[in-house]
Amino acid sequence: MAFISSGYNPDKPMEDRITDIGPRKYDEFYPPVIAKNKGQWLYHEYLRPGVLVHVAKSGDEVYTVRCGGARLMSTTHIREICEIAEKHCDGYLRFTTRNNIEFMVDSKEKVEPLIKDLEGRKFDGGSFKFPIGGTGAGVSNIVHTQGWIHCHTPATDASGPVKAVMDELFTDFQSHRLPAHVRVSLACCLNMCGAVHCSDIAILGYHRKPPMIDHEYLDKMCEIPLAIAACPTAAIRPAKVELPNGKKVNSVAIKEERCMFCGNCYTMCPSLPLADTEGDGIVIMAGGKVSNRISPPKFSKVVVAFIPNEPPRWPKTVEVIKKMIEVYAADARKYERLGEWAERIGWERFFEKCELEFTHHLIDDFRDPAYYTWRQTTQFKF
Amino acid sequence: MEYEEAKKKITEALQKKLKTKSKFYFSDLAKILGEKPRVAKKLINQMVQEGVLEYWSSGSTSMYGMPGTGKQAHAEHED
Amino acid sequence: MAKHETPMLDQLESGPWPSFVSDLKQQAEVRAKNEANIEFQIPRDVVEDLLGVLELSYDHGRTHWKHGGIVGVFGYGGGVIGRYCDQPEQFPGVAHFHTMRVNQPGGKFYKAEYLKQLCDLWDFRGSGITNMHGSTGDIIFLGTTTPQLEEIFYEMTHKLNQDLGGSGSNLRTPADCVGQARCEFACYDTQDLCYDLTMEYQDELHRPAFPYKFKFKFDGCPNCCVASIARSDLSFIGTWRDDIKIDQEAVAAYIGGEIPPNAGAHSGRDWGPFDIQKEVIDNCPTECMWMEDGKLKIDNKECNRCMHCINVMPRALHIGDDRGVTILAGAKAPILDGAQMGSLIVPFMKAEPPYTEIKEKVIEPIWDWWMEEGKNRERLGELMKRQGLQKMLDVLGFEADPRMVQEPRHNPYIFWKEEEVPGGFKRDINEFRKYHQR
Ligand code: HEM
Ligand code: HEM
Ligand code: SF4
Ligand code: SF4
Ligand code: SF4
Ligand code: SF4
Repeated sequence: MAFISSGYNPDKPMEDRITDIGPRKYDEFYPPVIAKNKGQWLYHEYLRPGVLVHVAKSGDEVYTVRCGGARLMSTTHIREICEIAEKHCDGYLRFTTRNNIEFMVDSKEKVEPLIKDLEGRKFDGGSFKFPIGGTGAGVSNIVHTQGWIHCHTPATDASGPVKAVMDELFTDFQSHRLPAHVRVSLACCLNMCGAVHCSDIAILGYHRKPPMIDHEYLDKMCEIPLAIAACPTAAIRPAKVELPNGKKVNSVAIKEERCMFCGNCYTMCPSLPLADTEGDGIVIMAGGKVSNRISPPKFSKVVVAFIPNEPPRWPKTVEVIKKMIEVYAADARKYERLGEWAERIGWERFFEKCELEFTHHLIDDFRDPAYYTWRQTTQFKF
Repeated sequence: MEYEEAKKKITEALQKKLKTKSKFYFSDLAKILGEKPRVAKKLINQMVQEGVLEYWSSGSTSMYGMPGTGKQAHAEHED
Repeated sequence: MAKHETPMLDQLESGPWPSFVSDLKQQAEVRAKNEANIEFQIPRDVVEDLLGVLELSYDHGRTHWKHGGIVGVFGYGGGVIGRYCDQPEQFPGVAHFHTMRVNQPGGKFYKAEYLKQLCDLWDFRGSGITNMHGSTGDIIFLGTTTPQLEEIFYEMTHKLNQDLGGSGSNLRTPADCVGQARCEFACYDTQDLCYDLTMEYQDELHRPAFPYKFKFKFDGCPNCCVASIARSDLSFIGTWRDDIKIDQEAVAAYIGGEIPPNAGAHSGRDWGPFDIQKEVIDNCPTECMWMEDGKLKIDNKECNRCMHCINVMPRALHIGDDRGVTILAGAKAPILDGAQMGSLIVPFMKAEPPYTEIKEKVIEPIWDWWMEEGKNRERLGELMKRQGLQKMLDVLGFEADPRMVQEPRHNPYIFWKEEEVPGGFKRDINEFRKYHQR
C-alpha cells in the first residue's frame, strides 16, 4: 500500500489550492427532457406505486421509477445504479430527500424494461436491491442518521432498525392503501441529525443514564471548562475527587437529575461515556407533519417512552409501529394524516385504539412549552 | 485593526488561558479583538491561513485553538 | 471466508428491503478480490473491520466510536467529522475512520459518469462506503484516514470541480426540493436559488464564524418536500398571491371519474367514487370553495394556499402566476428548549435572480444580528425567542403584519418605548403638582 500523492504538497498547502468552488451546478446533470421542460410541467400522475409520469405543456412526458434504498451504500452498489442509468436512462438519475433513487425515462415504452430490470436485481442475501415504491398514500423510505455504524453518541443503531421496520412495512412501501402518506424517520440520539420531530412516526434513540466519569483520566484527557460548557442543562461542575488509591485529582461532578442524556459532554470529553446496554433504547413519537396541506405543520408527540434495544431486528419497535399504522389505516378518513386523525379522535382514544400504555413519562414537564400540552378544558372522552 | 496587532492580541490572550483551556468560540476571539464579528472574521481567517490558529469541531460546533495545544492534540494529530 | 463472524448482522440479510449488510459484504468481497487493481490508500479490509465493529455493537448494545476534533482540510472549518474506533487493535482497518461531506448537486440530479468518478476517488482513497445522502443533503463519504483528507480534497477540486460541504458553526450545505425541474407545483426555481446562495456564501460555508450551525432549505411550494419549515434556520417556501388557475373541463373529468384523484395516490383501496364536495370542498381549511352551475369556484382572496385542492386535482387546478417565496425563520431540532418550527417573517418576496432583496434585506441583516447578539451555540430560533420577534423585525426594518402571528398577544405587557409615547417619559413633577396635591 504505497502512498500515492494527488499532487498536493503538505509543505505548501496553499500552492495551487482551489477553494470555494461549491457543488457542481444542477443543470449539468439534468436529463434532456428535464432541461427542456423545466418550469413548464403541467401535471403528474402515479401510474402504479413507485411509477410517476409528469406531463409538460410541450406534450413531453417524463416517466420516473422510484426505488427504495439503504442510504448506507457502497460504491459497488452506486456503480450498479450507474449501470442501470446508462442502460435505460442515458446515464441520468436522481435521489430524493428520503433516500430513494429515481430513474427517469422519456417515453412509455422504456418503462416496462426498466421495471423488469430493477425488480430482477437482488442481493446475495435475498433482499431486493431496487424495490419500486415510495409514492402516494403509502410509506416512503425512512430518513435516518448514522447509529452504531459511525457516530459516537447513538443510543440505538440506525440502519438495523430501519431495515427491520421497512421489512415489516414493505407492502405499504409498494402500495397506495393508506388514508394519506406516512413518513417515518429515525434519529439515533436526541441531537436528531435527521430532524425526526415532525414525522408521522419517529423512532428516536434515547439514553437513560448520565455519563460515567473516568476520574482517573479525565483531567489528563479533557479540558474541564470545555466539558462544563458543553452541557446544555448546566449539569456539570468542576470537582476535586479522591481516587481509591488516595490520590486527589481534578475532575467533574454531574448533577444527575439535570442530565438530559444528550452526550454533548462526551463529544468534548472522552472520559464521559454514556452508552449503556440496559440504559439505551428507543422512544417512539407520532403525529407530526411538515406539509401545510389542510392543517398546519405539527410536531411529533412521544407515544412510547421507552423500548429496549433488541438487536438485530428490534421486534418490539417494529410491532408498535406496525400496529399504529394498521389502526390508522382502518380508522382514518381519506387524506387524513396520522396526526390529524389522532387529534380528531383525541389522544386518549389514540392510546386506546393503538393499545399503547399511557404512563407519567408521556406528560410534558420540560420548561414552558409543557403547560400548553396539558388539558385546559372539560372536553375529553371516556 | 492591523493584522499584526490582532495576531499579537490573540496569541497573548490564548497563551494566558492555556492552563485551563485550549479551545475558544469565535465570539471569545471577537471579544479579545474588540471588533465586530465581520471584521474579526477577516482577521481570524488570516490567522488560520497562516497557521496561527486552527479549527476544532464537535461535528456541530466549531472552535478555535492554537495548533498543537490541548490535551487531545496528540491523539487528534495522530503523531 | 469473512474476517469476522457476524451472526447478528447476518439476520439483517433476509426480508425484502435492501439489506445494508449484504451491500457491505459485497463491497468487502470486491475489495478483497480487487479486480480493478486499485492501489488502495487505506486498508483493503476496512469494510470487513467495519462489519466486525458493528457486530460488536450489536452484541454490546453500545457504539464503539469516539469523536475526534478534526475538522477538515487546511483553511476550512468544516466538511470533515473525525472518528476513531475504541477497539483499534481488534479492528485496525477502521482505527481512523473520518467522514467527509461532499456538497451535493441541486435536486440531487446526477449523471452516471460523474458518480463513477466520485466512486473511483473514494475506492482509491477511502472505504468505498457512503451515505446517499446525509440528512442535511450532502453526499457523505464514510471512512478514511487523516493523511487522505487533503489528497481527496485536492483531487476533488482539481479533477472533479467539486467542493466539500459544511459542518460545525457555519452555513450548512443548503438543500432544495426537485422543484421546477420536475414538479408542477414549484413556485420558484429552488435549484437556482439554492445554488446561487451556496456560491454567494462559500466563505460562510467553509469558515465558521457563526454562534452555531445555520441552515437554508428550499421548498418549491407549501407541500414542503424537504421539510424546510421544520429543519432550517431560514426556510424558503414557494407561494403565489394571485388566483389558482382552474380548468373547468378537467374538474368535470375528475367529477366524472375519468381522472383519478390525487394523481392516483389512493389507488390501493376502494374509497368509492370521487366526491368533490366531501374530498375537496369540505376539506378546504378556509372554506373558500364551492360548486356553482357545475363549475368549481374559489374565493381566492380567502385561500391560504394549503395545496390540498391542487394536490387532489393536479390536472384541473394550477398554482397562480404572481409567484415568490414566503420566508420563515428559526426552525430547529429539540435541543435545548424544545423543537421549533419556522416562524413567518416575510409573507411574500419575489425570488428572481440575482436575488438581491433576499440577500440584502433578509439574510445578511439576520446574520449580522445573530453574530453580534447570539450566544455560543444559540440557534437563530433561540435568539428569536430570547429577544422576541419584534426585535427581529426591528433589525430587518420590517413593519409588523398580522400574517406573522397565529394570534395577537395574550397579555397587555407592552413595553412601550419612550419615543412611541407623546411627550416622552420625562415629565415635570412640579407642573403636575400644580393640579394634584401631595
Ligand atoms: C445539538 C445538536 C446536534 C449535534 C451535537 C450534532 C452532532 C453531530 C455529529 C457528531 C455528527 C456526526 C455523525 C457521524 O457522521 O459520525 C452529526 C452528523 C450529522 N448531523 Fe448533526 N448534530 C446535531 C443536530 C443536527 C440537526 C438538527 C441536523 C439536521 C437537521 C443535523 C444534521 C446532521 C447530518 C446531516 C449529519 C451527517 C450524518 C447524517 O446524515 O446522519 N445535525 N451531527
Ligand atoms: C400532503 C402533503 C404532501 C403532498 C401532497 C406531497 C406531494 C408530493 C408530490 C406531488 C411529490 C412529487 C414531486 C415530484 O417528484 O415530482 C412529492 C415528492 C416528495 N415528497 Fe412530498 N408531499 C407531501 C408531504 C411530504 C412530506 C411531509 C415529506 C417529508 C417529510 C415529503 C417528502 C417528499 C419527498 C422527499 C419527495 C421527493 C421530492 C424530491 O424528489 O426531492 N412530502 N411530494
Ligand atoms: S442523531 Fe445523534 S447519534 Fe445519530 S448521528 Fe446524529 S449526533 Fe450521532
Ligand atoms: S449527557 Fe448532556 S445533559 Fe447529561 S451531563 Fe452530558 S452534556 Fe449534560
Ligand atoms: S415542495 Fe412542492 S414544489 Fe417542491 S417537490 Fe414538493 S410538491 Fe413539488
Ligand atoms: S389551496 Fe387550500 S385553502 Fe386554497 S382553495 Fe385549495 S384547499 Fe382551499
